[in-house]
Amino acid sequence: MPTEALRPFFLFILLFCLITPLPAVANEVEETESSLDVMGKVLDHDYVEIAGKKIYLPRIFYVDGNFYFYSNTQSALESGEFVESEIGGIVRADGKPITIDFSISAHLIFFWLGVFLTFLITWLAARRYRRGVGSETEPRGVLQNLFEVFFVFVRDDIAKEYIPGEKYHKYVNYLFSVFLAISFMNLFGLFPWGITPTANLTVTATLAGITFLITQVSGTRDHWEHVFMFPGVHPLVRIILTPVEIIGLFTKPFALAIRLFANMLSGKIMIVSILGLIFVFTDMFGAWLGVGSSVFWVLLTALLYVLKGFIALLQAYIFTLLSAVFIGMAAEEHHHEDHESSVTTTAEATAKT
Amino acid sequence: MTFFLQGGGGILSFDTGFAIWVLITMLVFIWGMGKFAVPYIVKALDDREKRIKESLDSAENALAKAKEISKENEQALRDAEIKAQKIRKEAIEEAEKLRVERLEKAREESAKILQDAKETIEKEKERALIELRNEVADLAVRAASVIIDHELDEEKNKKLVNRFIDNLEEPSTIQKNEV
Repeated sequence: MPTEALRPFFLFILLFCLITPLPAVANEVEETESSLDVMGKVLDHDYVEIAGKKIYLPRIFYVDGNFYFYSNTQSALESGEFVESEIGGIVRADGKPITIDFSISAHLIFFWLGVFLTFLITWLAARRYRRGVGSETEPRGVLQNLFEVFFVFVRDDIAKEYIPGEKYHKYVNYLFSVFLAISFMNLFGLFPWGITPTANLTVTATLAGITFLITQVSGTRDHWEHVFMFPGVHPLVRIILTPVEIIGLFTKPFALAIRLFANMLSGKIMIVSILGLIFVFTDMFGAWLGVGSSVFWVLLTALLYVLKGFIALLQAYIFTLLSAVFIGMAAEEHHHEDHESSVTTTAEATAKT
Repeated sequence: MTFFLQGGGGILSFDTGFAIWVLITMLVFIWGMGKFAVPYIVKALDDREKRIKESLDSAENALAKAKEISKENEQALRDAEIKAQKIRKEAIEEAEKLRVERLEKAREESAKILQDAKETIEKEKERALIELRNEVADLAVRAASVIIDHELDEEKNKKLVNRFIDNLEEPSTIQKNEV
């Protein structure tokens, strides 16, 4: 199978091509900060904005073994325990930094929303399947069919395809959950007042961290042997190869995190920046040119929205796919005669079971 | 550098508190999905796929069986046809034999009849010949008696006999025609 042989090459392309360059956008941001706060749009906040109204979220701080709960930032500042630092963060009144900031932020709210929506939809679908619709009869209705398309896609084209043998059963749950949740999170940014929580490095890094943990836990003896020992390789070569392999263990989830984060962030920044050009033009050349050129900017933004909708699903797919690939690589039973053909090992694994 | 600000600040900051929230949420989320939702769907889909596969298999089996039966039927039909042909052939042969036999018999009979007729004719002819001989003998005796009557003249006798034989030729032809 040619795709099997090309898999490392595709992975390489995916790893390096999908990281969008940030600095160019960052420069523009510095210049326009006076009239439009682009970064403010993509950063995390202590409030959720709905229809122009700000709903402030609770702040929870953990400082030196004590938890501090406040209904919002204002009350935290009023309590006198915490003050705002010069650079905008919150620190203790005596100048000590906060140990861990457990505040409920806007990104967390939307993260919960995405997760909740995923669970709700899957649970409703599961209830339908338990009643017999879809298991004893054919699936009925647009929603169930749509759900099944995604589910079967993740199960057959991601899990079954990349995780060898019968092991894939264990990972369908994780892969499908992550796929749907990330899709929802990515798509939230397209709605008015919506925020994309995956445009936050913390979220993507944690998700990638979970994939990393699952990968290491499901690693076979062969996998670890290949990381540390390299059977059949000269001992001196191992001095170079073993560090490379160990670094490789961590670069995989790192790339996973950065890719999703950067893609989502850049999309948001692009849209805010292009729409912001209306205000920039108004500031620089007067109201007429600003309003006149807005037709072009809005059209461009509309096109970007289509692209973003596509990228939202694509990135969720890539995250899930690469998670499956990494898990599959770790879970693979290597046979030292044929390193290259994972096809035969898969066949042998199925034959064994 | 507000971008790297700790605590809900910059773009590239890693917020530990937030990460812990995300981690807890994900653990609960994946546990919940694995407990209440996904296995039921997987099971339902597997069941359905299994059932579809089974029904396809059984349909295939039924088709194979039907094919076998039709093959058997065809074989039986062919056998019956062969049998019928054989029977017909036998009947024809029998009829032919019978015909030949009968013909032979008829021929024999006719031959026999012919033979009988021939024999009868032969017998009749013999009898007629015997009768004729008797007649001739009679005549000879009569002629002899006539000759004895006129015994004196040798020459006259000779003449008499010759005349008698000359006269005899005519009645003998008449006698032959009668037979």
